[in-house]
Amino acid sequence: MALRIDCPNCGSRPFTEFWFGGVLAGEPPTPESTIDPAAEFARVWYRSNVAGMQTERWFHFAGCRRWLTACRDTLTHAVHDVH
Amino acid sequence: MRFMTFIDFEGRKLPVRDGDTVASVLQREGVTVLSRSFKYHRPRGLYCVSGDCPNCMVTVDGEPAVRSCITPAADGQRVARANGWPSVEHDVLSMTWFMRWALPVGFYYKLFTMPRWLWPFAQKIISRVAGIGPVDLTSKPEKLERRNHHPDLAVLGGGVAGLSAALSAARDGESVVLLDEGMIGEKVAPGPVRSAIDDLLQAVRAQSRVTIVERSPVTGVYEGPLVTAAAAKVLHMVHPGRIVVATGAAERHAVFPGSDLPGVWLGRGAARMAGVHGVRPGKQAVVVLGTEESLAHLETLRKAGVGIKLAVAPAALAARLPTDIPSLVDGQVVQANGRRHVKSVVVLTPTGDRRVVPCDTLVLSLGFTPRDGLLRQARQGTVNGAGQVVSPGCSVDEARASGTQAAQQRSSVPVEQSVANLPPVPEAGIVCICEDVSVGDLACAWREGYTSTEILKRYTTMTMGPCQGQMCHAHLRAFVRQQEPNVQWTSAATTARPPARGLTLAQASAGFDHHLELRTALHDRHLEAGARMGWAGAWHRAENYGDVLKEYWAVRRQVSLMDVGTLGKFRICGPDATEFLDRLYPMHVRTIREGRSRYTLMLNEAGYIFDDGMIALLAPNEFFVSTTSSGAESIEGWFRDWKETWKLKVHIVNQTAMLGAINIAGPHARELLSRVSTDPVDNAAIPYAGIARVTVRGISCLAIRVGFTGELSYELHHPASRSVELWNALMEAGADLGIAPHGLDALKVLRLEKGHVIISQDTDFDTTAGKIGLDWAIKMEKPFFIGRPSLDRLASIPPAKKLVPIRFAGDSAPDEGAQLMVGDERVGYLTSCRYSPLLKCGVSLGWVKLASGVLPAQVVAVSSNGKRRDVGDIATGPFYDPEGAKLRA
Repeated sequence: MALRIDCPNCGSRPFTEFWFGGVLAGEPPTPESTIDPAAEFARVWYRSNVAGMQTERWFHFAGCRRWLTACRDTLTHAVHDVH
Repeated sequence: MRFMTFIDFEGRKLPVRDGDTVASVLQREGVTVLSRSFKYHRPRGLYCVSGDCPNCMVTVDGEPAVRSCITPAADGQRVARANGWPSVEHDVLSMTWFMRWALPVGFYYKLFTMPRWLWPFAQKIISRVAGIGPVDLTSKPEKLERRNHHPDLAVLGGGVAGLSAALSAARDGESVVLLDEGMIGEKVAPGPVRSAIDDLLQAVRAQSRVTIVERSPVTGVYEGPLVTAAAAKVLHMVHPGRIVVATGAAERHAVFPGSDLPGVWLGRGAARMAGVHGVRPGKQAVVVLGTEESLAHLETLRKAGVGIKLAVAPAALAARLPTDIPSLVDGQVVQANGRRHVKSVVVLTPTGDRRVVPCDTLVLSLGFTPRDGLLRQARQGTVNGAGQVVSPGCSVDEARASGTQAAQQRSSVPVEQSVANLPPVPEAGIVCICEDVSVGDLACAWREGYTSTEILKRYTTMTMGPCQGQMCHAHLRAFVRQQEPNVQWTSAATTARPPARGLTLAQASAGFDHHLELRTALHDRHLEAGARMGWAGAWHRAENYGDVLKEYWAVRRQVSLMDVGTLGKFRICGPDATEFLDRLYPMHVRTIREGRSRYTLMLNEAGYIFDDGMIALLAPNEFFVSTTSSGAESIEGWFRDWKETWKLKVHIVNQTAMLGAINIAGPHARELLSRVSTDPVDNAAIPYAGIARVTVRGISCLAIRVGFTGELSYELHHPASRSVELWNALMEAGADLGIAPHGLDALKVLRLEKGHVIISQDTDFDTTAGKIGLDWAIKMEKPFFIGRPSLDRLASIPPAKKLVPIRFAGDSAPDEGAQLMVGDERVGYLTSCRYSPLLKCGVSLGWVKLASGVLPAQVVAVSSNGKRRDVGDIATGPFYDPEGAKLRA
């Protein structure tokens, strides 16, 4: 409820100003990359449901409208290293 | 006149004095039975008088379960007691007490299970008998506001410790929010504590940095940290840097046979009634003294005119009793007798004699239980307890010092959950007064194998009632501790969770009704035309203008306008724009010619459809992209995510708000447009799927020839500031062509006749293009696009169901959502269905299961009540104009 994210562009804001963009799970492919189907399937479909720190994407729709990468502790909702 | 105001109590007018609570009004008028207990319908009266116990809960102005002891009495208030039959005063259901042998703990798991058909009847009876009052289903809750606070320090509780903490922090230059569930000091009878509170309050009020929020019970401490407090008309959301919990202590709950009878009071409660409200709790009292402050309570009671029949006290306190009071040193009250009220109490003397003392009131000061629910809820951030919540029974000076110290703590001091202060183990009587759990029930549950506080609590529901364990949690721990002295964790404190105090659904949902409302520039124009507006996501759109059929025929036979300004509209340009869109979309973007557009689906990385729209090339590397009305916001996020991930040179401009859009649809659409446009609009200038700049009455428009309705149509995208002007010009010019605007209701019929899918109405989150017959929109020959690797994998799984058009004969259409059957087997459901005035049949889309890869030829649609059955033929293409001749006309 009271999760706050320290947006590098806008300052500390409540999470309700952001959209959750999911867990950052590896680099998505580009046309140049060779796609390993099994690895790509795992990246898109498998979720590890971490109890602890995980890296996530957040979109600051009610602020700078930029995507941020943040480390969040799923146990305490403490957010670190926003960039 | 002394009495100016009255409350309405079950039809009687009862006078209210200054400072009265509902409970003090009732006590003054001799109403002693305020409620009936949850399970056995035992009579219950005032007990703690501090907002903790459930006994005083009544219905106030239609709101059930209101604690009368902390609710100020107000003129005209309607107060009634709940949960008694025929009345709370004389409750026949109290017979259940004599059937308690048949209703053991967890009886609803054990009885009525065989035969099975008995349970629904039993459940009905149980839910009528149990409970704490009916909810008025006709009442409409108020929409309440939220108020956010961001102080350095939040202080929960305005007693000596809390006020000291607030004062200390404010003097250090910090901002403070001080929350109290009542008015600060109101619960405390005149005396040294009350004087200390009054002085501190005056000092705190002089500090501009302290915001005092009264009559706002704190309902929870959440992660963040966030503190929520439910005032009558506003939900306070406090986001503090640190928290000091100074909720104090409640007097220790007494457990012995008859301890729950009306007439049994806790010491502070009786003193409050006598000292604050000037109402005596009873005429003849037995008083049990066990705490330092109980001597003062005794004095307060005497002043209010309560006769003291006997004072039971340990030697140290007994020595300080006034000499004219009959006393008993080191005695113990073991029983209270009476049917509806205390008539006598049984006292055990140190020599082991039982003495029966006739009286109407028993006042108990046995010790303190910290009011630590909120302290135990707080699990992160800097949270510290101050005053009696951490050291029950501490003096005024100790509380003052403790508050000051807690305010200055910069880290949390763990709360010791010691067993040292637990009450003696109860031997008999009702231990949980909220849920009517007796000591015998606890023992029974223990024998059944529920051998720790956490599971005993769940099985017996003890500590789970309105008091949230304030009364009986310590007794529960003491009980387990006695049974299992060697295994520490079994008697640990249970997890405390919000809400700590009750709150209404209106309070819980405060602030959630502030919908974002989006209106197009033509909103007022629609209202003038008599439109019925409806929600479409955040947008307000015209559903119809009064006559859906007329609107429908205008599109099919003449010409019609629709406000499509809600569509998501984007300008995407920059050196990498083509590359960017080609990677994003499953169709060919590189081959779109200048001045042409293409329909496109949007896939997520799982290969599932989440939106659709149109892509048009205006100039090299400059695209105009439209999305669905609901998708615009999230798709901007989607665009920006991929742009940043791929680091491509692309500008993304969301033009949704700056551009208006009007769709001109119908056989006369070209005729109408040519009348008002200064540019050519014939098939050579704007062919089907073409896009061109046209100037209409001086307004520069982007005309796109696309159609959702199946008729010749042009979407005119234009500056939103000129929407009204353009709309009026078109309506005027089309008057002799039979023009009429159409709304969403007509559109839903029109698009179904064409078999067009609405993403998210007809599709699910796991819909692939193949399942809805849009394979052609996915270009698998493209080596790369988002979702492609997943589609490669999904290709090996044959689809289990498909979305297909279905035609129903007859003069009305089946319900949307109707189940589709083949024989006795359920094979799917309808996602959209309308009656087509032109084709004179029902037209629909529905999901149908494939049987060995084959669709059935016919299905039966069964309405939700099972009464209506329609036979439908599965079609292969659009019902209307399958070749698209009208679109290309």
